[in-house]
Parts: sequence; structure tokens; C-alpha cells
Amino acid sequence: MNPHPDDTAVAVAGSDGAQPALAPPTDPAGSPAARVRGARKVFGRTVAVDLIDLDVPAGSVLGMLGPNGSGKTTLIRMLLGLTRPTAGTAELLGHPVPDAAAAALPFVGALVEGPGFHPFLSGRENLRRAATAEPLLTGREIPAAVETALERVGLTDAAGRRYRGYSLGMKQRLGLAAALLVPRRLVVLDEPTNGLDPAGTRDVRRIIAELHTGGATVLVSSHLLAEVEATCTHVAVLQSGSLVAAGELSRLLEADTSGLVITTPDVDAALRTLRGAGATAFLDGDGAVVVADGGPPAPEIIALLVRAGVAMYEARRRRPRLEELFARLTEDTP
Amino acid sequence: MTPAPQPPPRTASTAPLGRLLAAEVRWVLLRPRTLVMLGLFALIPVVIAIGVVVADGSGGRGLIGATAGNGLVLPVAAMTLALTLLLPLAVAMAAADAIAGETAHGTLRGLLLAPVGRLRLVGMKASGVFVVAVLATGLIAVVGVLAGLVVVGGADGQLVTLSGTTIGLGDALGRVALVAAWTVGQLAAVGAVALAISALTEHPLIVLASVLGGLIVFGVLGAIPALDFLQPYLLTSGWTAGADALRDPLPLGGMGESTLRALGYAVVGGGLTVALMLRRDA
Amino acid sequence: MGAALAGAVGLGLLAVPAGAGAAPELPPVTAEELISSVMTADPGPFNGTVKLDNQLGLPALPQLPQAANGTSTATVWSDGDRKGRVSLPTGQTERTLVADGTTVWSWNSADRTVTKSPESEGPHRRPAADPTAAATEVVKHLRATSTVDVDGTAEVAGRSAYELVLAPAPTERTLLREVRVAVDAEKRVPLQLTVLATGSSDPALRLGFTDLTFGAQDPSLFTFTPPPGATVQERPAHAEDAKPGAAKPTVVGDGWDTVVIAKAPTGERAPELAALGKPVSGPWGNGREFTTAVGTAIVTDDGRIAVGAVPEQVLTEALTK
Repeated sequence: MNPHPDDTAVAVAGSDGAQPALAPPTDPAGSPAARVRGARKVFGRTVAVDLIDLDVPAGSVLGMLGPNGSGKTTLIRMLLGLTRPTAGTAELLGHPVPDAAAAALPFVGALVEGPGFHPFLSGRENLRRAATAEPLLTGREIPAAVETALERVGLTDAAGRRYRGYSLGMKQRLGLAAALLVPRRLVVLDEPTNGLDPAGTRDVRRIIAELHTGGATVLVSSHLLAEVEATCTHVAVLQSGSLVAAGELSRLLEADTSGLVITTPDVDAALRTLRGAGATAFLDGDGAVVVADGGPPAPEIIALLVRAGVAMYEARRRRPRLEELFARLTEDTP
Repeated sequence: MTPAPQPPPRTASTAPLGRLLAAEVRWVLLRPRTLVMLGLFALIPVVIAIGVVVADGSGGRGLIGATAGNGLVLPVAAMTLALTLLLPLAVAMAAADAIAGETAHGTLRGLLLAPVGRLRLVGMKASGVFVVAVLATGLIAVVGVLAGLVVVGGADGQLVTLSGTTIGLGDALGRVALVAAWTVGQLAAVGAVALAISALTEHPLIVLASVLGGLIVFGVLGAIPALDFLQPYLLTSGWTAGADALRDPLPLGGMGESTLRALGYAVVGGGLTVALMLRRDA
Repeated sequence: MGAALAGAVGLGLLAVPAGAGAAPELPPVTAEELISSVMTADPGPFNGTVKLDNQLGLPALPQLPQAANGTSTATVWSDGDRKGRVSLPTGQTERTLVADGTTVWSWNSADRTVTKSPESEGPHRRPAADPTAAATEVVKHLRATSTVDVDGTAEVAGRSAYELVLAPAPTERTLLREVRVAVDAEKRVPLQLTVLATGSSDPALRLGFTDLTFGAQDPSLFTFTPPPGATVQERPAHAEDAKPGAAKPTVVGDGWDTVVIAKAPTGERAPELAALGKPVSGPWGNGREFTTAVGTAIVTDDGRIAVGAVPEQVLTEALTK
């Protein structure tokens, strides 16, 4: 794996992925890749998932966000037919689950609740065993599929070693490889970057981007907001088992408070000028001047400041970070 | 890295059964503890053979005593001895790893997601356990015959039956094979019940402990005269029938009855395993 | 779940004893006719399994574990004449008896010994000159102390049988209630003997076939060759009778309350009786008493032993005589 220590730079560069650059290709059946309606799951007295309606649009990269224990994994397990909803229905690639899960699952790759492998087998042997169970692979294709998957996650060199000796990151990579053994229509990744170093995180992003480019739908759950912001086209935010927001990432962010951010050495002059022109201007925490929307349009504001002789370093649209959105969504909800 | 190609237009919803079974057997045989266990089973007849030779005919009653100078008794004696505890525990261990162990490692989920149908999964797991039973029993039988002929020797390459008659090598081997098959049948019953327990828990040790506890409880119940009426229901009560193969003419009643009883246990265990697996959350 | 249920039911069926069917319908016979037919019966070759269900309540003697309560089975083969084979499996050992027509072989797998003795020329199926008369005589003799009746029918080892019942006359002072013999309706051979004691509805002793097949038997069953490694002992015929100084036992009384008084066995092979039994004393001296469901025994300190299917009082009377 290519060691890349500069995680921050990658994260910023990756924010391009948040753009709705590609229109989601329609599924042949015209249905979303996954869908739940009125899904509810109760374990004893604990309500893990409470009446969730959610579509995972075909071709999207949907990031499922939520604090630990918000029901992300339970929802994913319901979608994959691993657990039967207490109430409601779930569909995977147009097939009802868990009853008709067998029709959809060959086209679904998943890494759920951490990688599961046998410690006494090598990474390659573990993957072979997983590949044997894949309906879409013929016996002859298995060795090649295993090697391709190993290479894709950068584990070729360590493939002969016993899984017992793998680091957390290598285990995670092997789990990812198992999800990618066969070309998939839907890949479900539950906390894929858990335990990965920055280079590993970057690889996961690359793989998600490749899957997306290839037309596959990806469902990623994470509690790392930067992760989701960097890779996803859609988000769903869960809080205490309920869905508090869902939709295209860009729309959600745009719907949030926006405005113009102006960086200037002459803050007082700028505020005075702008307020004099009837705009709502205030100072944000970083010492930049923020002009709320609703007043004069941006070109007019910039011209105003230039005419007033206020020095400026930069003027840009304020785009709220997902972090703010998330914090607000999860804090507002009781 | 090139983008993933579009999925090919395939419709298979499950992998071929033969491939799954082969993979299960391969998995069972790659597991170090299976190999260690099989090695120990191969040692049992050798240890008995050496013990019999060292004791030189003064060694005890029962089948072990009957082995002295009569080597072809050894495989039957070793299988009968191992059936009391070691073989059932080996099968229980295989069953524990098969479902509870796979759950503990998170690999059962992987198989279900592949997907391997839940019914097929039970079949796959049952055959893995069965292979362990067959291999363990077969090893004792084969090593027993060899050790009996080479280390113990005697009886002119023939078998002196408990009834005092002498039968030829071919017939004797046939009887050893019969006891091996019967033993595997009994172990299949243990395995089916152990699989059901395995499908109920996530902790492999619970399976081992349950089977061990069950064997002890059955042994105790079988030894209480006031509970004689329980005998026909206890799997273990017919486990001495293996010695019948050393009688002449061969009485099949004991082995037949215990095989039917084992079949009952196997059906109960198998049915429960399927029922539990169809409902199990993974 | 359905399969599991089916398996459980199957297991239950397996445990239900077979042959508990209704009593078969058979033409009536008298006791005399039945006994007469038994005396002339020639069943031919057969093999079968005999089960002994012993609830006599004898003490478990270390030298004779078979005497204690419990069940044991034996497999028997007969050529219908002098040759026969009996196999007595116990756990992981076996005793085999083979009568090949001239020699009786006894094999014990526990110590791998063969005992060889010439077959006794005893009365072996000597046909009575007039079976009907003989049977009448037998019944007459029995009726002096008993009631003899054919009491219904039964199914034994899957075969229809008459139940011949002998019960003590009211004057007999015995612990026994009745003795039932099931006689095969077709072959007229005894299939089962049941001994019932007073005060208990369960048989004190039941000896009978659980499985019986008539037909030609493999002749090799009636030969025996000592296997390699076996110790062969020769024993002359009637060794016991030849023992010098063996006093003939005294018989007191007749019928059901017969008491036999003999010298108690001595020497190394004698059962260690001192620790067992209950101390008793009487005009005859001191001794130890053993009671079982069907009989009583007193071993006196002066070396006599009195045995009978009777209460203690009858024994003391006999000893005092």
C-alpha cells in the first residue's frame, strides 16, 4: 500500500466527492438499490430501529451517519436479511428480504460488524473459502477473483500469512476484499475505515470512488463525518433509532444557512460598510466577516467593499460543513 | 486500478453444493485442532496395544483383556473405549466450531451473505461434522487393525471371538468395519444434537460442556436401577453393543436397536438445528 | 421443528415394549391334555433368545453376581435332539456351552478357558410309553397339593401360548402364590416360566423366550474347536456325585412346603455367609437366616443348611425334627 501520511490534504481534496457530479444511473428494475418501509426492530425492551423509511438510490454513495448505538448496524443487518424486522418491510435490489434475499445477495458485497475470518487460515485461504460460497463465481474463476481482490485492497504481500497475525487495518482490508470478490451492484460497508491508518482510509475512499464510477451503489455507515463528506453523494442521519435527515448531501448542505464569507484585515470597516448598505453582516468565530443571504447579491457586496476601500484577502460562498449540519440535526432531536 | 466492470448477466443464486461441501471438509481439515485430535485418535490403539503387550496377558477383564494374544480385538476394543467419551467429545468439538465457532468469528455472517441458504448451511455443517466422525473412527479402526496385527499379533492372523470360535481375517475385518459403521452412526446422533446446541449459542465451549454434561447425566441415569424405564431413551445405554461384533454367531439386535435409537436422536437434533438456523439472527 | 417432533415420537415408539398384544383366541384344552402334549412334543430344531428376569431378592454374592436381582439373556440353539449351543453374554465377556452329541464344551472368554466333559447319558427326552397315562399320573400327583389349571392364553415371543397355572392348595404353608407356565399352542413346548410370590403382583422370577424361531440350524453351531491360546481342562462325568463323603440331603415334608436340609458348603469356594443374614436361634441351635421373596434359608452354626419356599417357622420345625 502506498504510504500517504498527509491525511488532511486527502480529506480536503476528497471533498470534491461530495458534489453531485454524476447523475445516479437508474437500476434496471427502476427501483432503489435498497429500501426500508416502516422498519422497526426491537430487542427485548430496546428499540434499536424505530419506523424508518429510507431509499438508497441506485448508483448513489449513501453515507449513513449516526452516533454509536443509533441503529445504523441494525438497519444494515435488516437490509441484508441477517435479522428479521419486528415490523415493516425491507427490499434489496428489488427483492423483499429476508424472504427473497437469496436472489439479491449474490450481487451484494458486504462488510458488516467488522471483518470475520478464521485465525488459523491465511488471508488468501480465508478469501478462497469466502469465494467458494459466492454463487456468481465458477470454480475456475475463484483463484483469479481472490488474487484480484487481494490486489485491490493492497494485501497481496501479506496474503500468505495467517489471519491471526494481521493488524487491525489488514483485517479490515481483508474484509473489504471479501466484499469485492465479485463485481457487485451494491456494496455495503459498515465502518470500513475502522482501524485503518491514513493510507488505508485513502484506499477505502479510492475503492468507494471506483465502485461509484463503475455504477455500483455503495452504502457506507460511519461515525466519521469527514469520511462521509468526502465520499458520499447522499446521507442519512440516524439518531436513537430514528431517521432525522436523508437526501442528497449537496441539497442538505445548501438548504442549510449559507452566505458569503469575507476575509479581511479591516474587519471594522467592512462591517460598517456592509451594515450601512443594509446587509446582515457579523463576525464569525474565525475572525472572518459573514454576510447572510437575503441582502444584496454577492457581486454587489464585493463591489461595495472595493469601492469603500476595504482590503480583502478572499471572498467565498459559505458552505456549511457536514459536521455542523450533523451536530445540529442530532442535537435538535431529543 | 480500473473501475469494477458491470456484473455479468448471471442468475445463480447459490454456489454448487459439491463445492460448498468440499470447502467445508477442506476447512475442517485445515484446522490445526482437528489434525491434532485425529493424531491423538490414531495413538489410542497404539497405546492400548503397547499396554496389552507390556501387561502380557495379566491385563484386566473386558475387551482390553481379550486383546492379549488376539490382536484383531484391538480395533473393536479401541473404538468401544473411545466411544464412551473421546469420540463424542471430538464430534461435539467439530459441531461447536461448525456453528457457534463460526458465529464467534463472524464468519457465519459471511456465509449467509454469500449467500449460502440456511438449509444448505446446515447440510454443509452436518457433513463437516460427519467427516470428522468418520475420520476419527476410521483412524482408530485402521490403526487398530495394524497395531493389533503388528504389535499384539497372535491368534494366527485370525480372530478368536468372545464365543470361543475362530474366524478368518476377512470376516474379522468385515466385523471391524461393521463396528466402525455402527460407531459412526452413534456419533452422528451425538453430532446432530451438538449441532442443535451449537445453533443455539455463540459460545463453542457451551456445546462441549453440554455434550460432556449430557454424557455424564446419561451415564448416571443409566446406572440407577430405579430408573430402568429410561434405558430405552438413553443414547448411551446401547454403547456397549459394539462388543457384540466379537460374538459368533453375530447378534445384530443390540447394534440394530441402538442404531434405531441413534436415528431418533439424529432426526431430533437435525430437525432442531434446521428450525433454529432458519430463525437465527446472524 | 416437525422433523424433530417426528424423531422424538420415533424414539418413544422404540421404547415401547413389543408384543404386549391381547391374549390370543385358542381352542380350550384341559391340563391333562396340555401336559400330555408337552411330554410328547417334538419341536425340532430351533433357536431363540431367553431372558431371565430375577427379582428373587437374593443377596449379591461376590462369587455369584448373576444371582442378584436383574435381568440376563442367553441365546440358545438346538438341533431338536442332543446337540445344542447356549451363549451367555455378560457385558464384554461371554460363556458358551456347546453340546456336540458326545462332548459338552464350556468356554469362558474372561479367562479363555475351555472345559471339556463327556455328555452324561442321563434321561434325555425318553418318550413315555403312554403319554396320556403319564400325564394323568403327573396331574394326579400334583393335585394332591396343588390346583392345576389351564388359565387362559398369552402371547410369548410373538407366539400364542396356553397358560398352565399351578397354585398351592390352601393347606400348603408356602411363600409362593402360583407358578405359571406358558406352553406354545402349536409346538407344545414351554415358552415361559413365571413364579409369583405371595404379597406381590410382580413376578419374583420370569424365565422365557423373547424370541423363538423353529427351523433347521447351521450344523457348525453344534461343534466346538478350542481356539488358539485357550486353556483346555478335562472334567470327568458326574464329578460332583463322585465326591466322597457328600451326604445326601434330608427332605422334610412334601409338596409346596418341602424343606431340604443339607450340609452347608465348606472350603474355599463356599460363599462367605457369616457377614450376611440375620442371626436367629431356636431349639435346633443358632444360625443365620436369609429371607427372599420366594423362600427362606437358615444356615446353622453346626454346619447345616435348611432351604424351602416357606416361611421361617416351617424351617425351624423341620430343623427341630
